[in-house]
Amino acid sequence: MEVIQQYRAYRPRPLKGEERGKVKIVYGGLTWKHERLIQGALENAGYKAEPLPEIKRADLDIGKELIDTGACCPTTFTAGNLARFLKEKSEREGREGVKEGYVFVTIGACGPCRFGQYHESYERVLENLDFKDFRMFLLDLLQMEQNEGGLEITMPLTFGLVYSMFLGDLMTDMEYAIRPYEVIPGETDKVLKESIELIYDRLKNRPSRGKKWGSLLWHVTTPYFVKVLKEVRELWDKVEVDRLRVKPRVKITGEFWLQTHEGDGNYNIKRWLEQEGAEVIPPPIAVWMDYLIYLSLWKMEESREFVEKFWLKKAVIKLLLNLYHFTYNRLRKALNNIPNTLPPQEELRSLAKPYFHHFLAGGEGYMLIGKALYAHLNKHAHMICELSPYGCMPNTMSIGAMQAVLGKYPDLLYAPIEIKGDAEVHALSRCQMILTEAKKRAQREFEEALERTGLSVEDIRNYEDERPELRKATYKVPHYGYAGTSANYVMHVAKLMGRV
Amino acid sequence: MPFISLFKRRTAEGGELKKDRSHIRVGIPKFLNVWSTHRFWIGFLKALGIPAKNIVFSSDTSEEQFREYGKGRIGMDSCYPVKVLAGHIGELLTTKKLDIILAPMVYSLPSFLRGHVVDTLSCTRVPMSVENIKAGFLKECNEFEKHGVKFVNPFVSFAEPHLLPKQLYESLKDALDVSYEEVERAVKKGLEELKRFDSEMRKKTREILEWCAQNNHPCILILARPYHMDPGIGHEIDVEFQSLGYPVVWGQYLPTDKDLMDWLFGAEIEAGIIKSPFDISDVWTSSYSSNTNEIIWGAKFAARFPWITAVVRLSSYECGMDQPTYTPVQKIVEYSGTLYFKFGDLDETRPSGSIRIRVETIDYYVKKYSPHIIERKLKRLEERKVPEGFGVIPPPRNASTST
Repeated sequence: MEVIQQYRAYRPRPLKGEERGKVKIVYGGLTWKHERLIQGALENAGYKAEPLPEIKRADLDIGKELIDTGACCPTTFTAGNLARFLKEKSEREGREGVKEGYVFVTIGACGPCRFGQYHESYERVLENLDFKDFRMFLLDLLQMEQNEGGLEITMPLTFGLVYSMFLGDLMTDMEYAIRPYEVIPGETDKVLKESIELIYDRLKNRPSRGKKWGSLLWHVTTPYFVKVLKEVRELWDKVEVDRLRVKPRVKITGEFWLQTHEGDGNYNIKRWLEQEGAEVIPPPIAVWMDYLIYLSLWKMEESREFVEKFWLKKAVIKLLLNLYHFTYNRLRKALNNIPNTLPPQEELRSLAKPYFHHFLAGGEGYMLIGKALYAHLNKHAHMICELSPYGCMPNTMSIGAMQAVLGKYPDLLYAPIEIKGDAEVHALSRCQMILTEAKKRAQREFEEALERTGLSVEDIRNYEDERPELRKATYKVPHYGYAGTSANYVMHVAKLMGRV
Repeated sequence: MPFISLFKRRTAEGGELKKDRSHIRVGIPKFLNVWSTHRFWIGFLKALGIPAKNIVFSSDTSEEQFREYGKGRIGMDSCYPVKVLAGHIGELLTTKKLDIILAPMVYSLPSFLRGHVVDTLSCTRVPMSVENIKAGFLKECNEFEKHGVKFVNPFVSFAEPHLLPKQLYESLKDALDVSYEEVERAVKKGLEELKRFDSEMRKKTREILEWCAQNNHPCILILARPYHMDPGIGHEIDVEFQSLGYPVVWGQYLPTDKDLMDWLFGAEIEAGIIKSPFDISDVWTSSYSSNTNEIIWGAKFAARFPWITAVVRLSSYECGMDQPTYTPVQKIVEYSGTLYFKFGDLDETRPSGSIRIRVETIDYYVKKYSPHIIERKLKRLEERKVPEGFGVIPPPRNASTST
């Protein structure tokens, strides 16, 4: 081989300021709800935006063909998804049109895991499809800047993205809390779609208050989003539910992409669990951001002797955390607190401490163990379904550490599912075995609640006839120490009837 | 004997020791990044008053070790270098009569590439593996308590050396009854030991490279992770090449002397392509992982150094950190005309037979192409000042090089 040059890494052509509004920003990796809301936030900032197509099983095969061997499941799926997008767009708009008309923006950083190196695999896609001229920008979580002004991370955009994340999470929580109990099949999905479109519209058309302090103040204090959610609540008010359906509650934990994903990338496991008779507790993205902020706080605390103005910096982070939780809870309240609260990170850390050090980052870190124990001990779920991608480095490690947890808490129903993209039947059948036991527990709880209150299902039905608001999707049923929705509902009705 | 007792209670630096620890036996599993930090641990423990004879490392990895001591302790599917930790801990626990097992969770490393890289983190599995495998010894009963052994697994970030005393003190204060000052002194001693060892190894590698230059002899560079030096994980592929007469050097211990760096990287620094010889941003933008960064830098070194005519890449089955690097490393090496060979997915099978066959094939190509590679790479460097010791004699055209 006669070669004389030295290899150099891929460098994208810059995106210039004057291209904004002409070139479409392409992004992906979250649920369709979050992606639609992000589109609204980007369009509000003057960009054209389009999410990548929904992940399909075919993306796995395309990814395997194009990137280096041995990649983890999310890398292969997402790389294949980008490749399919480029191919399909090229067929419709021509290669030049795609190269000039779109830029792909993806999140990077996070170092220890392969996640920080995803873009290397995306580069293989561009290279192997002869798309080296296509622009791909890596947004470092800590350095969200781009040269040439084409992609400018301003205060309104940042807040738009944060609100997109919060609102997407809250709507996802509503969806999963209500769909298993809906009286008219398909109504939840219909109302959900209407809600997302309403919020998208408001995000896109939110008023401009400048690019810096004015914007900051407005986003922190505004009732704008609460008002939007009150409109959304009116939509959900019309959905009728039957909470006497006994269903095991299944908490989803696991690696970030896989646990958030809704589609072929994780065998659509949340929908599958619902079809199998479960109520799913989905993981909000807001928990992940909360975790990252806490990690930075604890890291700073560890090296406090070496941190200048430590107390001031700590106070700023604490203020940020309080503001974060305040905003999330304020939005929850607008939906009558139907979406779940964010789990307390300090408590998750403390629960996981004997089994997993809190600075071991990647996957879900200590949260995988902390969340499982928190849900189990506080009776928030009957079962934990942990989703780990094939080839995931960090998550397999915390799964291994769960051995000791299960040794101490043998009654914790834990289903670790490795997801490869193929071998679907195998993974789902493993999950089904644990789910069978969870169903039995939910049924036992329900019967216990009926026995404790002396109520029958018929008594409750009769009472519902007198109080039809109980069958509204937005009616909040408090937690009475049972994991199951139906058992808590029985207790609540009994309380309203003066039986307990 | 008060005089002897007083003598014993002093560290190598002369600081006072709180108590006599000469009887304490500490075991360290020889796993993952302990392969690149073991000198720190020896220096550290010695400075705390633990004699060298009482610092016990587990054996090299072997199937027998895993079968005998690690079986049944693994609760997940992972890469082989992580799984084998169960055998290492089990062996220490069962056979070495120890007071303490010290299995550090190495979060980051003191890389020589610090400065022009984003970070020097370990692979995420390196620190996590300890909590993972520990669980296998706790799930039914506490095996450590049963054997009267304290299991200590400090979280250590070598890239932030100012935090090491605190991290190690918190973890060891009860197990070793140490004071913060003792730990602080011991950390300093450990880091000095590690630096001295690394420096000696680089010096030795430079001597090998100088010998290659003076004898116009091809050399093979192994690009791998530190634990591939473990014969049970690296399958002694380096030894196979040595037995054929090739000097073999490891990427971790390549020389970094200024004269050599100027010779190899000077032109690119002057052209503004890189900021220093240790800048890898021209080929690798995700410079978070210490071992990965060093593998990338090793590939750059090989692409420029004339007598490294072949690079042999080793990678274990399911190595997630290596996976995105396969193409870039191969390209860095091959664009320069240097030969590139990869032994991937090691441990997926027992590969001893196939390794020998491949080594013979590689030997054929290295013999055939080395003279041309050396000549071509020297030509690229002819404008630059040759570092002392390399005494470059341009090889005659079309000369064959015997190995």
